[in-house]
Amino acid sequence: MVLEKEIFKEFENVVGVGNIDDGEVITDAYAYNWCMEFFNYMDGKEPLPYSPRPKAVILPSSTEEVQKIVKLCNNYGIQVKAQSTGLGPWNCVSTDNSIVVDLRRMNKIVKIDEKNLYCVVEPYVSGAQLQVEIMKYGLNCHMPGAGPQVSPLASATSMNGPGFTSPSTGHSSRNVLGVEWVLPDGEIMRLGSWGMKNNPDWFVGDGPGPSLRGIMRGWAGAKSGIGIFTRVAVKLFPYPCSTDFELSGHSPDYDFKIPDFMRLYVMDCKNFKRLDEIMLQVEKEEISFMCSYLSGLAVMAIFANNFEQMMELMAVGSMKAPLVVIIAARTKREFEYKQKVMDYLLEKNKLENIIGTKYTPYPVFFAEALRSNLGLHGFIATGGFQSTLGQCDTAKVCLNTAASNVPVKKIFIKKESVANDFGEGIWMTSYESGHYFHVESPTMFDQSNKHSVEGTAQYFERSNEMGLVKHLGAPFFAEGDRMHDMFGPHMHNYHLWLRKIKEAFDPNNIADGGFYITAGKGKKGVSKGE
Amino acid sequence: MSINSIIENLIKICSVKHVSNDASVLKTYSSDMSYVEAKAPICVIWPSNAKKVEKIVKLANDLNFSIIPISSGAGPRLHGDTIPQKDNCVVVDLSKMKKIIKIDKKNRIMMIEPGVTFSEIIPTLEKKDLKMNIPLHPRGSKSVLASALEREPVTIPKYMWDSSDPLLCTEVIFGTGDLFRTGTAGGPGTIKQQEKAGIAQVNPMGPTQFSPYRIIQGAQGSMGVVTWATIKLEMKPTIQKVYHIQSDKLQELLDFQHDLMKYRLCDELLILNNLNLACLLKQTTQEINDLAKELKKWNLIYVLGGRGKLANDKLEYLVGDINDILEEQGLDPSKDKQIINDTDVLRILTQPDTNSWRMRLKGGHQDIFFLSNFERIPEFVSIMENQNSYDLGVYLQALNLGTSHHCEFNIYYDPNNVEESKHVKENFLKVCTELMDAGAFFNRPYGPWAKEAYERHSASTQSALKKVKKIFDPNNVLNPGVLCFDD
Amino acid sequence: MDKEEYERMIQKCLRCSICKWVPQIQVKSQKYATICPAMDMYNFHTYSGGGKIILALSYQLGRIGPSDELRDIVFKCTECGGCAVSCKFLNTLEPLEIMMEFRERLVKDGCGPMPAQQKYIEAVKQVNNPYNEPHADRTEWLPKDIQTDPNSKILFYVGCTASYRRQEMAIATARIMNAAGIRFRLLEDETCCGSPILRTGVKDAFLESMNKNLDAIEALDVDTVVFTCAGCYDTFKVDYSLHRKYNFEVKHSVELFDELIQNGKLKLTTEVPLTVTYHDPCHLGRNAERYEEWDGDEVELMPLVKINIPKKQKRCGAEGVYDAPRNILKSIPGLKLIEMERIMEYSYCCGAGAGVKSAFPEFALQTAQIRLEEAEDTGAEIIVSACPFCSTNLQDGIKEKGSKLQFYDINELIMMALGMDIKKVKEKAAEVA
Repeated sequence: MVLEKEIFKEFENVVGVGNIDDGEVITDAYAYNWCMEFFNYMDGKEPLPYSPRPKAVILPSSTEEVQKIVKLCNNYGIQVKAQSTGLGPWNCVSTDNSIVVDLRRMNKIVKIDEKNLYCVVEPYVSGAQLQVEIMKYGLNCHMPGAGPQVSPLASATSMNGPGFTSPSTGHSSRNVLGVEWVLPDGEIMRLGSWGMKNNPDWFVGDGPGPSLRGIMRGWAGAKSGIGIFTRVAVKLFPYPCSTDFELSGHSPDYDFKIPDFMRLYVMDCKNFKRLDEIMLQVEKEEISFMCSYLSGLAVMAIFANNFEQMMELMAVGSMKAPLVVIIAARTKREFEYKQKVMDYLLEKNKLENIIGTKYTPYPVFFAEALRSNLGLHGFIATGGFQSTLGQCDTAKVCLNTAASNVPVKKIFIKKESVANDFGEGIWMTSYESGHYFHVESPTMFDQSNKHSVEGTAQYFERSNEMGLVKHLGAPFFAEGDRMHDMFGPHMHNYHLWLRKIKEAFDPNNIADGGFYITAGKGKKGVSKGE
Repeated sequence: MSINSIIENLIKICSVKHVSNDASVLKTYSSDMSYVEAKAPICVIWPSNAKKVEKIVKLANDLNFSIIPISSGAGPRLHGDTIPQKDNCVVVDLSKMKKIIKIDKKNRIMMIEPGVTFSEIIPTLEKKDLKMNIPLHPRGSKSVLASALEREPVTIPKYMWDSSDPLLCTEVIFGTGDLFRTGTAGGPGTIKQQEKAGIAQVNPMGPTQFSPYRIIQGAQGSMGVVTWATIKLEMKPTIQKVYHIQSDKLQELLDFQHDLMKYRLCDELLILNNLNLACLLKQTTQEINDLAKELKKWNLIYVLGGRGKLANDKLEYLVGDINDILEEQGLDPSKDKQIINDTDVLRILTQPDTNSWRMRLKGGHQDIFFLSNFERIPEFVSIMENQNSYDLGVYLQALNLGTSHHCEFNIYYDPNNVEESKHVKENFLKVCTELMDAGAFFNRPYGPWAKEAYERHSASTQSALKKVKKIFDPNNVLNPGVLCFDD
Repeated sequence: MDKEEYERMIQKCLRCSICKWVPQIQVKSQKYATICPAMDMYNFHTYSGGGKIILALSYQLGRIGPSDELRDIVFKCTECGGCAVSCKFLNTLEPLEIMMEFRERLVKDGCGPMPAQQKYIEAVKQVNNPYNEPHADRTEWLPKDIQTDPNSKILFYVGCTASYRRQEMAIATARIMNAAGIRFRLLEDETCCGSPILRTGVKDAFLESMNKNLDAIEALDVDTVVFTCAGCYDTFKVDYSLHRKYNFEVKHSVELFDELIQNGKLKLTTEVPLTVTYHDPCHLGRNAERYEEWDGDEVELMPLVKINIPKKQKRCGAEGVYDAPRNILKSIPGLKLIEMERIMEYSYCCGAGAGVKSAFPEFALQTAQIRLEEAEDTGAEIIVSACPFCSTNLQDGIKEKGSKLQFYDINELIMMALGMDIKKVKEKAAEVA
């Protein structure tokens, strides 16, 4: 379905010629996304990586243009789906009566405020772009695990938020300050101090009174289901070491001058019980820039940039419960102290750091760690991966979740639907110096293999259900009506409240709620209280 | 429905021992130190558990009366949010719900009921080598949970990873009477089942795609009644070193504070004017005035903490790095005479207050507080100093990893002095609105601030908050009259 | 590209957007973080490397058919290979090869190339050059005082653009070779290398050009063929090698001159007090990496996981010609070289390649202006390169932008350092342009 000529013209008048297209070629490319095939399979459709084709794709350049677009969509009963860098099926429309608002042209770093330790960005500023500009002030930003090429705004307002540097940079959701938000009815809402009529400013995202950030998102964002975010202020953090970033050589074998006060530790904690204890010990010392549990194969992956190189690291991969810690410091004394702490913990727990003894990574690893580029290594083995699980609370529940997932994954490994990581493919990171942790299970599949795609989708379903059955918490992708109706009745009927929020803020169902929730009647369950 | 009938139904829920409409009791719940015009409640009820609270809220919906949840028992109450502004109101005093349900050292959290106070929890935590990021010398009888719900500023900004810290998960009864649990407390499963699986209710986000705890927090009890919460804890340092830098120039201290904050170099970090520091450290008016005279106008206090075997090593590196900054900024604290002692400072930073330090100077105080960015703090201080001919206490607290600053101004007056009291009252709102017009962000809009703050805020925010209120408390039974929910 | 490989690869785009940016660890500023000219011009994701892979899949699945819309989008791409370099830092997809294969398939289905491109392809067929100039005039550029040797082991393959449009480059190259004592020979019946045909998907016509040239050269007894055009160089070195073996060495003039400077046969002694920045042509840089023959096996290590034994080459532009031009510039006395942010294998395209200059002149010009702004931001007064396509498009861009930058071909700077007068060379440039 395409837009009627007159309606197309109205949209074109908003954004200018060349910034809207409803041709089948432009729009078909926006129907495609990584892992869309799983959601199709789960919905009983053919497992192709395509959603319905949007009616059009439109490229606004300002909040005012976004507002006009949303208002037009309200007038004509067309749904709207916003995206920026657009990685993942959550960027796809759920019906063909939806237009994609591609925020590519909104790419300004509006403000870097060194004194107040935050910045304001538009949707199409990438993490890497932001980082290099704030490094000039000795600052760093949080980047999601998806990589530095994606949008910090999208991560903060609409997506998820774990990152490799989370021990020191937290979670995207908790780094949000002022927000500019085009609501589904076309009103512009400015959260916190940004909403003041006199001297609005970005430094607070809450109030007056209750915080509407609570409506904006939770552990996960609304994936465009509650409006479009056009600017956000996010907290900044001290850059962990010297900001000199010297690369030489050529891709992919760059050489990198490792900053003076940066050191990597990879230690085998041998089992989950010890890992739980040791990870907490490290984190309670508040010294890490990065602190992750990665399964053996995942450790191999982060040190390689191709599969053959990965296979050369079997000795590294044979570790049972590897803990990867990076410490970094601005000054020599800080560095010496942090090393002392690590030495003490290594001795106390009878651990060996294999780095520098059994294995030394290529220096480019450190560049990638600083640039938060490690998550993309998950694609090395088969070219396709997606994570299941996503529980977030204590280290213990994360490890219990990981352990519980092993037999589930092994079923699908045996069926040759997912690649064999012995069921143990895991990434778990600490947040805010170990105050909480999250776990996910990167799962490798082959997009070009139908059996793999179908089997992986089945595995995802089983893995998601496990959170319900074993009380491990809701997984990452508890989103969309089907999942909410499944989990809600077991979780105080949260889905009914979420639906009410949707109904209140989007009575006309204009914001595409395919990966959020839609207005309507859900199943009520009786939650077991105590 | 008649008042007697309401009371009878409440007695059925909580028993006659825990419901009172005694005039003297009602009087204590009918007023506070604010300028809000209060009414007397119908009665006061003291539920002992969440089930009872649920029933009370449901009853309020059925019988059309309103509820004000309070947690700190006798008070003193300060801001107008815990006294009835409407008729037909029942005060639900949660102060008897005093369970410390759990303290989980490993995961650095505690789960407490609303009646747990600072006096009760601080020593309990200390015994376990734990501490909480607390407000500045909090009143001992104050509810810990209420303090967290109110987003009271805390003194260790590097541990304040989000504006909502240290509040984590909650169990809440919404205005509909529905029980809900926020964050990972939301399940699946009962709390016991979750704990068996390893969950300790440390993640406040969610469940899934919204975070209702943020709606409850800062709502002055108008969205839900919290019956327990998990609160974030930190490890207690084994060594602490206090530093006190004085200056006549506020900007100098602000600049230094900025670097301490940026590089996360200290634990407690705050700036007080001489009068407030004296009020905190001393007891009598004379002692306070004497100390205030000795101190320079502005006082930055920061604390370095270390723990365990390498505590001294940690302090050594921190001191070294901080000295580099002091040198860069041309500050030399050693030049100043040591006027206050570390023990006293640590006491005010780590211990509850037996009486309210703000009342010591003259017996009465009106507090004006809001959030500011870094650059505008001196401007707001100027406005207050120019306006105010009274004894003025100033407390500046960096928050939320240094991204905002709590600016608190305490106007001290003798409540027995009619002229003085009248003068303070007449000018109070005037100076607040002047600050608002200058861009001070009153993010905790108590009492008369609410109307002014919302008028100066975009209409879409109010509209959105009203929508939210309509969802969680459609019949407006919870604390009607506060915030923007009354028109 | 192998049919099976193509059909498998087009299913594997992750839609991660890496293809729009320089390699992530090479991002040095917000302003110069992008690598895809088509994205910078048109903004829709469809125009990116990944976007075009998706279109290839959509086309394969029959979701979209041949159309002008499709043709225009697919041909609005300079095939600079920037997306491939970024993608392949970690991935094993081949965005550039997929795009080239996709164009071939579209052309076979009658969807492309663009009319302007068809025109020049026809001209190649008729008169051996895309400029529709008389074939007989191909060697007109050669000054009478240049010394050639019909028996030389070194053949100077001039290329169409240097022969007809950027004659100053051909002349400069010739003069420098003479200055080093090299008497080169020319190909009597030089025909278009086929690059502008290959990159618009007309494979058959390309193969014709290729065979014509190789037949002609192999009939001669030459060891080395020297190029002044990066496009011709890349085509011979990389594309010809894929289809047919030949027994001579290929060198770009910068490689030859770098060697000659190193071994003292060229002495650069005259001061050239200029501040320059060097633009890496795509066809001399990242795309000029020859395919290595691989006779290994793709072994299934375990279900879904395959490994190449032995390891297969990953062409990420590492073997491009980057050092030679820089060595030359650093050898010129008094010359100061300041690098742009996007250089070497992650250089930003000038905007001219793969038929874009002909079919989408506005796109070519806009891209040039983006590149020129980057050059201006270095503070350099001169932008220098080593490709006639880059030369034309960047000079057009300078004019359009009203930039204070001047463009020099690297050979002109060498001439200046040799104490030669480049006035006549520059005049020739103006005359022909």
